Amino acid sequence: MADTSKVSPDARTAPDTRTSPTSPATPVAPATRTPRALRRAGRIATGLPAAAVFVFLLAPLAVLALSSFNATSSLSFPPKGLSLRWYGEVLSSPDWQASFRLSGVLVLLVVLTTVTIGTLAAYGLVRGNFPGRGVLSGLALAPLMVPEIIIALGLLYYFQGLGLVNTLSGLWLAHSLVALPFVIRTVMVSAQALDPTLERAAASLGAGRARTFLTVTLPLLRPGILAGAVFAAVTSLGEVAVSALVSGSNTTTVPVRIFSAVQFQLDPSVAAVSTLLMLASVVVLVAVDRFTNFSEVL
Amino acid sequence: MSAPSTSPALSPATSPALKKPRRLRGLLPVTPVVVFLAALFVVPLVRVFALSLHPVDANGYPLDGYSFVQYRRVFTESFFSEALWHSLLTALLVTVLSVLLGFPAAYALSRARKGVVRTLLFVAVVSPLLTSVVVRSYGWVVLFSANGVVNRTLVWLGFLDQPAHLLTSYLVVVVSVVHVMLPFAILPLTTALGGIDDNLRRASRSLGAGPVRTFWKVTVPLSLPGIAVGATVVFPLAMGIYITPLLVGGANQPLAGLRVYSQITAVFDYPVAAALSLVLLLLTLLGVSVLGTGFRFWEKRLHG
Repeated sequence: MADTSKVSPDARTAPDTRTSPTSPATPVAPATRTPRALRRAGRIATGLPAAAVFVFLLAPLAVLALSSFNATSSLSFPPKGLSLRWYGEVLSSPDWQASFRLSGVLVLLVVLTTVTIGTLAAYGLVRGNFPGRGVLSGLALAPLMVPEIIIALGLLYYFQGLGLVNTLSGLWLAHSLVALPFVIRTVMVSAQALDPTLERAAASLGAGRARTFLTVTLPLLRPGILAGAVFAAVTSLGEVAVSALVSGSNTTTVPVRIFSAVQFQLDPSVAAVSTLLMLASVVVLVAVDRFTNFSEVL
Repeated sequence: MSAPSTSPALSPATSPALKKPRRLRGLLPVTPVVVFLAALFVVPLVRVFALSLHPVDANGYPLDGYSFVQYRRVFTESFFSEALWHSLLTALLVTVLSVLLGFPAAYALSRARKGVVRTLLFVAVVSPLLTSVVVRSYGWVVLFSANGVVNRTLVWLGFLDQPAHLLTSYLVVVVSVVHVMLPFAILPLTTALGGIDDNLRRASRSLGAGPVRTFWKVTVPLSLPGIAVGATVVFPLAMGIYITPLLVGGANQPLAGLRVYSQITAVFDYPVAAALSLVLLLLTLLGVSVLGTGFRFWEKRLHG
């Protein structure tokens, strides 16, 4: 492709450069049609609502982060005096420590599980040509369509019979179920953009199926896999709708502990934990953004 | 090695004997997820369905046999039936608001040139999505609390004589649920708006349409797929949401998700919770298919 354009540069570019000066009306006219002041007014008219929405999106997060630095024991905003007192309190509390450890372990387990089975499934669903593929795609994304309270009740009732309530395994399975559709969806996007000829080329050069998958397919799917991993990590880190019912006194994740704290008290320590949780998500996002252009995956 | 791998690509239809094992081999990578979802999604749903058909004794203890008594309760007792209606209307309201508010944000995001501004806008959209629902709800609790920013601003502006109990009002619940849902509407809208060829807008303008007319006749119709995706993702999520209304509006908000939650955690009446949640699921699926059909119909009228 690049070769042909280099071989005959005159034939391709010459007509373009020649026609554009003779007909300057087409690209320029629409821009000059409206007066400058009116265009500026239009830009403000479309920009202001957008700005308002962005403020709306960030407001509760910013308020939480700022009030976590409160020096007083009431949750006032703007904060009265700055201190890291509540962070110290949270980080030295054995209860919160246990929750942070549990949430961390869960993130690792959930990401490993969902990325492994989700990547395989997304690849199989996009590239496979077996009967019932449509039904399986539907099933794979179905947990997104089902109201969270039903999944929570279903897992609670099911786990009670299996003795999985208030266990790490129970939370692991529950979080994986909730995070799986996100992984499958993001990897499917990458798999759809995958050029099959690259795999065929690898195969024709002597690579076996497994080797082709590991050395050609997986690297090409990497953006989708990383985005899926971020989603899985963030989902697990913040999951509460199902965990609130499935977890117990020995398995209280960070969000579930925040959940019960918010229902009964309002003090800056919860704001501090929330800020730490936000920070953890941002770290995950930034870390992945270094390897791939995350915003293009979505 | 090279011969067998290239031949199916060249003649996939002419070798029916080769086709079958190949087709089933394609199923192999999907197997783990199918097993996983069968065990953790399908079986629990079926068991909830069976549970909803259980009759219970006076203490709420499940008995043997089958009956529709739970469903009768869900439809006749206003405590449940009104919550279902309320959930449906709230989810629709939240869906409409999310798309309406998401549009300008998505428009700005799709028009922003690559660079710091775009990254910042993108972070603003994604950061709520990356933050736990609990944390976001808690942020609204702080904002709307008795001596919170909203209350004090309203008093300062003279709309209120003294701080009001905002945290039990329906309005606050809707505001916070919209906040939770907005990113789910903005992201597909951004994709759809970003995919519109700028030349189409320019063509419309050069043919005499003003900016408003161009917006309604070109931009909005072409972003319809994004609106459809956003709406059909937001609606089911809004139907089942219970954490945010519980934290922001309290346990008495008449929403079906909250009623299920209180039946499970406070009343311990699992069978009626199962029946209520299954009716909620049915309403959700019905709503999604009505929305989907509506959007398809609209799109066909525009392009056909």
